[in-house]
Amino acid sequence: MAKPVGILLFLFAAAALADETCNSPYIAKLIKGQEDYVYVWTLGVEGLGDGSDKLVTIDVNPKSKRYGKVIHTVSTGARVEAHHMGLTDDRRHLWAGGLADNRIWVFDIATNPAKPKIVQTIADLGQKSGWLGPHTYYAMPGRMLIQALSNTQDKGGRTGMALYNNKGKFLASYAMPTDGGGDGYGYDLAVNPRQNVLLTSSFAGYANYMRPIGDLMNDAAAMKNFGATMVAWDLKAMKPVKVFSVPGAPLEIRWSLNPKDNWAITAAALTSKLWLVKQEGKEWVAKEVGTIGDPAKIPLPVDISITRDGKGLWVNTFMDGKTRYFDLSNPEAPKQTYEKTTGRQVNMISQSWDGKRLYITSSLLANWDKGGADNEQFLRGFAWDGKELAQKFEVDFAKEKLGRAHHMKLGARGLHKATE
Amino acid sequence: MKPLAALAVVLLPAAVLAHHVDLLPPLEYEPPAPGTYALYRIMPTPEGRVVGLSGKTEPLSRYTRGAVTLLGFIYTTCTDPEGCPLAYRVFDALKEEISATPRLQGKVRFVTLSFDPMRDTPEVMRDYAGSRAVDKGAGLRWYFLTTRSARELEPLLEGFGQDVVTAVDRTSGKPRRELSHVLKVFLIDPAGDVREIYSSDFLHPRIVLNDIETLLLEER
Repeated sequence: MAKPVGILLFLFAAAALADETCNSPYIAKLIKGQEDYVYVWTLGVEGLGDGSDKLVTIDVNPKSKRYGKVIHTVSTGARVEAHHMGLTDDRRHLWAGGLADNRIWVFDIATNPAKPKIVQTIADLGQKSGWLGPHTYYAMPGRMLIQALSNTQDKGGRTGMALYNNKGKFLASYAMPTDGGGDGYGYDLAVNPRQNVLLTSSFAGYANYMRPIGDLMNDAAAMKNFGATMVAWDLKAMKPVKVFSVPGAPLEIRWSLNPKDNWAITAAALTSKLWLVKQEGKEWVAKEVGTIGDPAKIPLPVDISITRDGKGLWVNTFMDGKTRYFDLSNPEAPKQTYEKTTGRQVNMISQSWDGKRLYITSSLLANWDKGGADNEQFLRGFAWDGKELAQKFEVDFAKEKLGRAHHMKLGARGLHKATE
Repeated sequence: MKPLAALAVVLLPAAVLAHHVDLLPPLEYEPPAPGTYALYRIMPTPEGRVVGLSGKTEPLSRYTRGAVTLLGFIYTTCTDPEGCPLAYRVFDALKEEISATPRLQGKVRFVTLSFDPMRDTPEVMRDYAGSRAVDKGAGLRWYFLTTRSARELEPLLEGFGQDVVTAVDRTSGKPRRELSHVLKVFLIDPAGDVREIYSSDFLHPRIVLNDIETLLLEER
């Protein structure tokens, strides 16, 4: 669908935990060699294929005869704005959900990693918690902590988190704070276990993210309903400790994996700014530390991916279709050192543990993706040699009648088998 | 519980624990006081058949009911410093603290359960346990258990969500069988429900002790 550029000026990104360097710290089975598969959680498109949301498995091992090819799909039979996924701590299951619904599909990716299958559907999130639109799925030991975007009552931005055990049993819910400067919004979450800190960010509710962007843009009141905060929580107690003012919808949160570091970074979509959350003395602070592109042109930073040593950050900007690399040697002053146009619209970016391979997908939200020829839908695989991104393969999700390519997780054959 | 009482509960163990935790990574934050947070009933403890040092086969529930239980999976040849040895150091530190705290007497037990029944027979477990094994008396009891077979172990691994993968390491020239696993230690309440699952990232005596105190406060 075509949309005026002016309308897109206020587009927000919708993305979360993406890749091997951005997983929960409680997932111990990281893929530190060559990954075999990329699982792509794909939004169904009416009239395209079966029209349902589906999990698409793509072979990404260069030594495979099927390299760069779709080798399996699992359709949910529903179309509920498929969005994000998360691995359980034992990496046996992948939880995936949509923003238009409260159903969560649990895929077994251990029995046969090349052919995931649905083994459970969890449907009580709304009933148990009152939240709507599960977004981030974050592995805790034996549990899954879920950040929602909205609520079932008014479908606005007031929301919270829900905790389930790995068997899919609801355990608890936690409201995002609305006092102490809190705005009640939620988006992403990420944990630093060494500091007992949980960080959350903020976006918008169902009433905004499900509306066609043109309608939304013409509703001045609705346009005020976006998040502008981050919250530091006492992880053990699951109680908010401090609310930070971070204007412009702070989205993805990435803690540095370097054991010597004690900071996280995020990007604010509307303002195109990088923000650092760190401890100064005993106090946690959030500070603006960098700019992504020209904020006046609203490049819309969406997904970000941190390198395993915490020295670099990939940033995708949806509007200009660019992939940028920032040197994070000094996290107080990130410096862009590379950029390349990788699509007409780009959202998610995932990297392998060694940082040599990157995967990029195209879709934000069904009603917010670009229209016409700009509405490319793909997974593209790239090689990174430290100087240049070189495209190695592409899967055209429209041509393959799959849908809109969104969130990715990596898979490998040997994670759950006896090895020698 | 009143704040001052909760503070006393956390400060006293912290002081006593100080010299035992020197060998462990320092805790970089002040954990919340016992009773000020919730430990949810994550899941029921799975049932299965286990073998004690005497060689007698019994249901696992014999060791997971009636007291607060700290249960950890190990295998006796594990060398991963972030795995079984770390759990052992934490259990040792907690043992000394609990033994020195009268109000905890008779209310806490440890269970060390092998997930390598092929090698860890009751005899091997007895050697591994040494003087740590205590199955009688009023003090802290520490049980060392194994299973008869992989078949009997499987429902326990599945029920606890303890993933184990067998690998053979030949890099040293001398083949060594390893059981790749993610360290998990389970805190179980007297009714047999798992209330916390610790990974190596936060398996620290002060945190575990606070959690034990939190469960015991529920009973007062």
